[in-house]
Amino acid sequence: MSKNTDKILEALNGALGDRILQTRTLRPEKVCVQVKIGAHRDALKLLLKQDENAGISAITGVDLGKTIELMYHVRMRNTIITIGVDLPKENAKIESITDLIPGANFHEREVSDLFGVTFEGHPNPKRLILPEDWPENVFPLRKDFVAPDFQSKTENSEALKDNEQVFGDERLVNIVLGPQHPALIEPEKFTLKVEGEIVKEVKPRIGYVHRGIEKAAENRTYLQDIYLVERICGICNACHANCFCQTVEAIMGVDVPPRARYLRTIILELNRIHSHMLLLGHAGFEIGYETLFHYMWRDRERVLDIIEELTGNRIIASFITIGGVRRDLKEDVVPRIKVELEALRERMNFYRQVFENDSTLKMRTKNVGVLSRQDALKLCVVGPVARGSGVDMDVRRDEPYAAYGEIPFEVVTYDDGDSWARLMVRLDEIVESINIIHYALEHLPSGPYRVRVPRIVPAGEAIGRVEAPRGELFYYVKSNGTAYPERVKVRTPTFANILAFVKIAEGGNIADVPASFVSLDPCFSCTDR
Amino acid sequence: MNLDLEFLFRVLIFPGFTFIVLFTLFCDWVERKIEARMQNRMGPTYTGPAGILQPFADFIKLLTKEDIVPLTVRDFIFRFAPILSFSIFAFSFAFLPIDGANTIFNSNFEGDLVLVLTLVSIANFFLFLSGWSSTNPYSATGAARVLTQFLGYDIPLFILALAPAFLARSLSISTIAASQSIPFALVVPWVFVLFIITLQAELEKDPFDIPHAETEIVGGYETEYTGRRLAFLKLSKDVQIVLGAAITVELFLGGPYGPIFYSPSFVWYTLWFVLKLLFVVVLTEYLTCVFARLRIDQVLVVNWRLLLPLSLLSLAATVGVGFLFYPLG
Repeated sequence: MSKNTDKILEALNGALGDRILQTRTLRPEKVCVQVKIGAHRDALKLLLKQDENAGISAITGVDLGKTIELMYHVRMRNTIITIGVDLPKENAKIESITDLIPGANFHEREVSDLFGVTFEGHPNPKRLILPEDWPENVFPLRKDFVAPDFQSKTENSEALKDNEQVFGDERLVNIVLGPQHPALIEPEKFTLKVEGEIVKEVKPRIGYVHRGIEKAAENRTYLQDIYLVERICGICNACHANCFCQTVEAIMGVDVPPRARYLRTIILELNRIHSHMLLLGHAGFEIGYETLFHYMWRDRERVLDIIEELTGNRIIASFITIGGVRRDLKEDVVPRIKVELEALRERMNFYRQVFENDSTLKMRTKNVGVLSRQDALKLCVVGPVARGSGVDMDVRRDEPYAAYGEIPFEVVTYDDGDSWARLMVRLDEIVESINIIHYALEHLPSGPYRVRVPRIVPAGEAIGRVEAPRGELFYYVKSNGTAYPERVKVRTPTFANILAFVKIAEGGNIADVPASFVSLDPCFSCTDR
Repeated sequence: MNLDLEFLFRVLIFPGFTFIVLFTLFCDWVERKIEARMQNRMGPTYTGPAGILQPFADFIKLLTKEDIVPLTVRDFIFRFAPILSFSIFAFSFAFLPIDGANTIFNSNFEGDLVLVLTLVSIANFFLFLSGWSSTNPYSATGAARVLTQFLGYDIPLFILALAPAFLARSLSISTIAASQSIPFALVVPWVFVLFIITLQAELEKDPFDIPHAETEIVGGYETEYTGRRLAFLKLSKDVQIVLGAAITVELFLGGPYGPIFYSPSFVWYTLWFVLKLLFVVVLTEYLTCVFARLRIDQVLVVNWRLLLPLSLLSLAATVGVGFLFYPLG
């Protein structure tokens, strides 16, 4: 346990005293402080005071039979401190923390949907993941959940009636963005209240592609779960696989061979490059710059070719597995990859010039959708969105995984906080990623690329974090000593970033909505899981 | 009787209706192909050699599709706006000398430039009506944007079109085209540049394709249209592009006139006209490819603060040049 963690624990002990019930370890080297109901707010206040960059990463619920354990995972510098609270299953109620940190808004609503925990004092305690006509008092992630009879679904149909069409104010017009809309490739709904061309209010509604993956993961073996979590997000599939595997490896105490760690780093960075290029091209499309879109996506093909050389697949790599990777990198492929990457670097210089010099592109993205540093911290945004607002955070550096601890690289930040800055962060990160892959290829250790692991995972729990292209990806896995996990919690980066869209769209021009929205790189199949 | 047959041929076949529709579809193919090549894509390849029949196939396909008229639309306007706007654009071609003479012989008169520009405005207004009658929020927004943009750009376009008229001392398009021993684009290049930019806005192309911003307002004014009506709406958009390019050719590039190597002259005139027109199409397509879409408020700023004063200034400069090169006499 690091010095930093010890200091925080000491402070917590001093402030809460006997309200701390026990302290346990979440692997690897994370602490979970169990407190009495009601003490969680004081603990959180203290943690937020300790570190100005602190924010809430996720709230995990676990059904323990008689009680529901809530875990508030608080992101601190270099680590995560977890505050646990046990709630009685009947009448599960707890005070909301959304007033302390607005970024907890969606996390609390999700837990309330899936576990039936009531958060007292929540500003908007509506359904978030489940549909409006889902029966009351049926909570899918509880262990005693029985699937309701969907054939006779009449119970709650009143709730389906959309009250968002009611015009409170004559001058306000509702423009509904989604669930089907050309600006959104995936289905979510955003209701914009518009006065003239100015957006006054945004109401997000997610959950349109909720597939119950967290529940499904409990009914599959760990090995099957790798392929399941890869399908949470097609674009950053390697990140999900890596995050899940490293979390399970932490429970097992498996050491991954160095070669596998380097190969993982390479595939993760390739993932990042192709995801960022996809987004940059898409941003061009959203602002009507189709040439940029087509150019970018054609160059992206190079990355997909490299991924194919490395893993045998173009998108869903199925490359990372528990204990290492599934294929070795052939020596004769390495020079080809290097050549392709150099060509890509040339193109990136060209695109950098385009982004810096093209006047129409700058007119549409500069000073559009500004997210200040304070707001970014309050809303707990992650990844390029946070870095575009000057928040210096990157899991790769703060808490190295795979081979990142041994590879030198820069964390790109911009202070502008506008759409342009967020796009530039990604553009520069592509160049950094190319450097990382070069370094990893040059220093690729020899040796085995995987170790065999048993199918049964010992009882335990662990937290894993990975810097996915869209930001910090968070996994919590609890094992009960069988081949099936007890609980898999996934907090995807877009889930943390959706609140930022509400912030940056309000007060802006309606024509800027697509441009500022795309700069968050939203991925809704991730968000809903 | 003989004369009547020729009249019918000229109106219906060449250089009248059939030629214009076919040529429009051809220009559509050229646009798509050029845009695709500039964007590192293939463009149409499947129908006909190099996909040349693709626009035709698309048109036929739309004609055969189910025709849906939503219940809430303003029925009459909704049904007739596409046809009316298409026929007005097509009719405007009658005043442009394509093979050296107008479609109907001697139909040119002093002031037909004003007539054609007015017809273009009216046809544009029908495009606006087509969206407005749809009673759909996306269509209405798209229609409002058409109108906003068109109010802004019609004025500079008129002012800029006066410059060649002044140089030729005539408001007749045929006379203007015929009097260009040197194309006016070379005599007054600044007017030509401004005209192309304004045309880009008139034709709703990037960076001014705001009424078509599909990421913001889906299909714009076309959203509720299907089948035959959509086919005509699309065709009328395409004819508008060709007409805009044709007016540019007539006013600035010497119309159909160019060197004739052997008779009959109308073959050469048509050839020159087509080549010049394709040049303008390529030019506008190039501009489309290199710009992102502006926002409606930015467009208005560009228009009122920049283009309007510039067009007035360029008209003044043209008057100066006019007296220098073409003294009154």
